[in-house]
Amino acid sequence: MTVEARLWHFDGRNARRWQVRLVGDAQGFRLIADDWESGPWHWDDLVALDMAGPDAVFGHRTEEGWRIGFAGDAPSDIAPLLPGKQRYGGVVDRFGLGKASIAFAAIAAAVIFVGVKAPAWLAPLVPQSWEDKLGDTMVGDFGGRYCHTPQGDAALKALVAQMDPKGSARSIEVANIPMINAIALPGRRIILFDGFVQSAESPDEIAGVLGHELGHVQHRHTLTALMRQLGLSVILGGVDGNLGANISSLMGLSFSRDAEHQADETAIAGLGRANISPQGTAQFFERMGGERNEKPGKGKKKAPQKPDNQNVAEKKADTSIDTATNWFASHPTSGSRQQLFTQAVKKDHEYQVALSPAQWKALRSMCAQDKDVKSGWGF
Amino acid sequence: MNDQQGESQRNEWQQDVPQRDGPQYSAFGFDGSWKEYAPIAFTNLLLTIVTLGIYRFWATTRSRRYFWSRTRFVDERLEWTGTGKELFLGFIMAVLLLGAPLLFIQFGAQAMILRGMADIAALLSMLSFLAIFYLMGVARFRALRYRLGRTYWRGIRGGSDDAGFGYGWSYMWKTTVGMLPASLLVPWSMTELWNNRWNKMSFGSQNFTADARAMSVFWRFLLFYLLPFIMVALITFVSMTSGGMVEMMRGGAGGPPPVAFILTIIGAIFGFYILLGLIALAYYAAFLREAIGSLSLGQLDFGFEAKTIDWLKLFFGDVLLVVCTLGIGWIFLQYRHWKFFITHMESYGVVDPEALTQSTTQLSRHGEGLLDALDVGAF
Repeated sequence: MTVEARLWHFDGRNARRWQVRLVGDAQGFRLIADDWESGPWHWDDLVALDMAGPDAVFGHRTEEGWRIGFAGDAPSDIAPLLPGKQRYGGVVDRFGLGKASIAFAAIAAAVIFVGVKAPAWLAPLVPQSWEDKLGDTMVGDFGGRYCHTPQGDAALKALVAQMDPKGSARSIEVANIPMINAIALPGRRIILFDGFVQSAESPDEIAGVLGHELGHVQHRHTLTALMRQLGLSVILGGVDGNLGANISSLMGLSFSRDAEHQADETAIAGLGRANISPQGTAQFFERMGGERNEKPGKGKKKAPQKPDNQNVAEKKADTSIDTATNWFASHPTSGSRQQLFTQAVKKDHEYQVALSPAQWKALRSMCAQDKDVKSGWGF
Repeated sequence: MNDQQGESQRNEWQQDVPQRDGPQYSAFGFDGSWKEYAPIAFTNLLLTIVTLGIYRFWATTRSRRYFWSRTRFVDERLEWTGTGKELFLGFIMAVLLLGAPLLFIQFGAQAMILRGMADIAALLSMLSFLAIFYLMGVARFRALRYRLGRTYWRGIRGGSDDAGFGYGWSYMWKTTVGMLPASLLVPWSMTELWNNRWNKMSFGSQNFTADARAMSVFWRFLLFYLLPFIMVALITFVSMTSGGMVEMMRGGAGGPPPVAFILTIIGAIFGFYILLGLIALAYYAAFLREAIGSLSLGQLDFGFEAKTIDWLKLFFGDVLLVVCTLGIGWIFLQYRHWKFFITHMESYGVVDPEALTQSTTQLSRHGEGLLDALDVGAF
């Protein structure tokens, strides 16, 4: 079998356009010009190029800039020897656009599903010591914001002894920050903000919220949330390529609603074991819900209920921020949680109060009386 | 391309490339159509969505292959030979290179501040910031090198023998110096960096030369400094006329009512941003005319003819297209911008195809991932 055709040709050595004759067989061909010849070239080394115009253009796998072009379509005896065009890219071309799209969509859905669910399966498999180290690296001593007085420490210890007798948390501290908030951090650490301690009307409320945070610690929710955020930002990082924004979104960790519910149930069980009434926690949520639903002006009317509040001025300034960025805002609605805790109250049962009046006073005045503690968010 | 068959190869070049004072005929032409591009744009969108964005590297490649192949220089079309895989690898590299400093700024610094190591944290944050700053310069250079290296004309490609690491330093100090004296030296740093970049680039055996001068665009840059004075004058004028009108309606009693006052303020804010945008556009138009106008390759000189009004039309065309199509027109913006760029590109002088031999520059194996991730433009 012999094939022959006229072509235009760039040799890739300079920009001159040659008119040449192709003479070849089933394996390959030579290019013949007036005063030179090149080859042998193999059909297998050709790559179809997507060029404008009617010409069929081919490049060479290894020869840089080498091109041959048939005027219009390649002759029918040569066409079967030539490679096909790439359109969408290797994999898509092989299966066709429709099938490939469906397959990709299925894979994408599976990846997102796993990205959301896998952390909850994987977090318990991470050795606790790794998480502890990570938490220590991230948090340190919280910039010297932990409040300490001998009496306050003793009161906190008494509360922890009731709610966490097995010592599942490595550290539980009160931080000198005037926000109504409490957080569980990686590395089995719990921080109660002084703003929250001041806003609580009884030690039972503190016990309930502490129990909730202990739930997060025991079920390793913080590591789960951390892994989920990290995983999703990697998966979705492909979409817009904006690395900075994706990495910064890592900072806004939040727990899933299921995790919150699980932590609430842990809190109720813990309160039961310690024989502390869930009623206080229910009242706390009632107030939280009330503050969120009412206008800020009405919420402030409740301030006089806290006569020894040292941070009234600061708290007023923070009210708007509190409601906007409050950690509690990401939780299930306060109403349903209030219900959950109210239903857990056993009728005609004799509960203990979580702390004695002296202990309660010591806990509440802990930050005000600690002379060494740093204050606020101004890191 | 059929009509070019059998033409004699010598001497027609001098006629083909227009002379500056010769007949009106552009060396650059674009003959794509949006209808022809639509199947590419829509399938790119589909595949990008179902692959959670990963396909966008292959999508970019397909779009470029189309744009380049519909772009004519003198008598032959351009060819884009970059691949999606290269862009993907470039992206992965960018993630690795930028990930470390960004992660430190986001997580590490906060952790160190919380542990009371604020000094070291500040130092390391500064270093991370500088590293990113440096990489932005390198990215700019390498993106240009990559694009030239993958652009073929008559089987010949461009490139650079420089890897751009030195340019990164130039970029840092010149950008900084440009900003220092109330940003007055920004035109200097921009033209200087343009020259630095392009003087390292080549196409085939020939080197680009660029000698853009800051003084040519400096006066237009001074418009930015005029803006506050224009604003004060405008506000005074508007408040006087509207105040006067109100006074007439009220029978000369009292100042302007709050509504007129608020409208004036809103008008002033909008006016400020519109004027700022206009000045930026006017400056950028002048800058690109000067920058591309200063560029030459061997005996070829380049020019870019887009005036501020052309840019305005492009901008409002974009806005209209996106708004009227409820956003879907967004996928055609790339097409519009390429067409805009090519239709305003000019070239004058002589090309000798025999003398334009293949580039000996080294090709980078990865695409412009850094630039992509840092979101800085190509020009």
